[in-house]
Amino acid sequence: MSYTATIDPGACAAHGDCEVIAPAVFAIEDIAVVVGTGPDVLMLEAARACPSVAIAITDEDGRRVYP
Amino acid sequence: MGDGIMIVGGGLAAQRCAETLRRLGCEARLRIVCAEPAAPYDRPPLSKAVLANAGAEDDLAYRRTRWYAEQGIELLLGVPADGLDGVRRTVVLADGRVLAFDQLLIATGSRPRRLAVLDRFANVHALRTVADACALRAALAAGGRLVVVGAGFIGQEVAAAAVRAGVQTTIVEAAEAPLAAMFGRSVGSWFTELHRSEGVDMVLGTTVAAAHGTGAVERVTLSDGRMLPCDNVVVGVGVDPDVNWLGDAGLGPVGAGGQTRTPGVFAAGDVTGGGHWESAARQGAAAARAMLGLEPVRMAPAGFWSDLYGTRVQYVGRARTADSTTIDGDPAARDFRVTFTRGGRAVGVLLVGRPHELPSARALLAA
Repeated sequence: MSYTATIDPGACAAHGDCEVIAPAVFAIEDIAVVVGTGPDVLMLEAARACPSVAIAITDEDGRRVYP
Repeated sequence: MGDGIMIVGGGLAAQRCAETLRRLGCEARLRIVCAEPAAPYDRPPLSKAVLANAGAEDDLAYRRTRWYAEQGIELLLGVPADGLDGVRRTVVLADGRVLAFDQLLIATGSRPRRLAVLDRFANVHALRTVADACALRAALAAGGRLVVVGAGFIGQEVAAAAVRAGVQTTIVEAAEAPLAAMFGRSVGSWFTELHRSEGVDMVLGTTVAAAHGTGAVERVTLSDGRMLPCDNVVVGVGVDPDVNWLGDAGLGPVGAGGQTRTPGVFAAGDVTGGGHWESAARQGAAAARAMLGLEPVRMAPAGFWSDLYGTRVQYVGRARTADSTTIDGDPAARDFRVTFTRGGRAVGVLLVGRPHELPSARALLAA
């Protein structure tokens, strides 16, 4: 629960892969939005699956984990 | 006047338009008219997961049926539109019904191009709908020999799925390399070698000149005289906008918010010639905003992605306009980046196995 996800609104095309992988964390509205938190491994998997690479993951110290 | 918003077509652009309208508070009557019998569903998996796994087609729907009821969206499925009267503001359906609208979205997508020489055979497949994909998967389950005509992304994805399923697969492509018109011949050659290394026979600079068989095609003659026996053929030689139902008037020019020359009539998605998933998604949402008289949202350049043999391939920009290309990384390891430049300025980026570089690629193109 130490990772934070942020969505690049200019990049997200609401593919929806993140919501499928981590529905507790991401929801699709006009674009994906962060609605909660979840296990680090799921957040990272969702970020890696995004075809638009619109999800950035940072750790508790603010360091970029992905991309 | 009357009877709300009608969306003709049931693909991604249609779905995004409907969702955006409701999310923005539009309470008008909202109908989606779709030629296919299924509620709107996601097409990219058709050439990937659905070909590889039976049952994958059950997970494609964007929304459950209940969602449409909850949103007050009427689905008229399995009935193609057959005509538009922009003056009376009606759409004629193939079953004879005439439906009135205040505002209309034309989102009928595209149709796969056909090859006259192959048209009459039962075992010649296109890939556009879930029914196409299920039929092709069933045909490939028998193994045998597959000829894929056209090495665009659809043809390449089909070939990848087929050869991984143990089907003896040949790609026949008119150009000297896959995607050479877009990426140039040297980058195209990387795709040639990718497929060869996976066991696909690549026949380039060649077209199908004739097909032989009764009912089913049993072999094709290529333009170089070579003969290929086959149990199935997939034709992936591009698509044309599905505008036949609009008659001779056609679609005409389409504005940034999807506006056509007929007031209150909009268009979005492949029918506009746009071509890809992200542009269809954004155009559907943009048309919804335009219907409600809202300002357009600035759209990021649409990107494109494919998965080939487990490697993600992503592309953004307009590589066609490039006068120079630079390759960084290790193409043999399926881990590289191609930067396309024109007059020293980046105009496109192709990433293979490097999804994490997509944000920097977009930034480079925006600079």
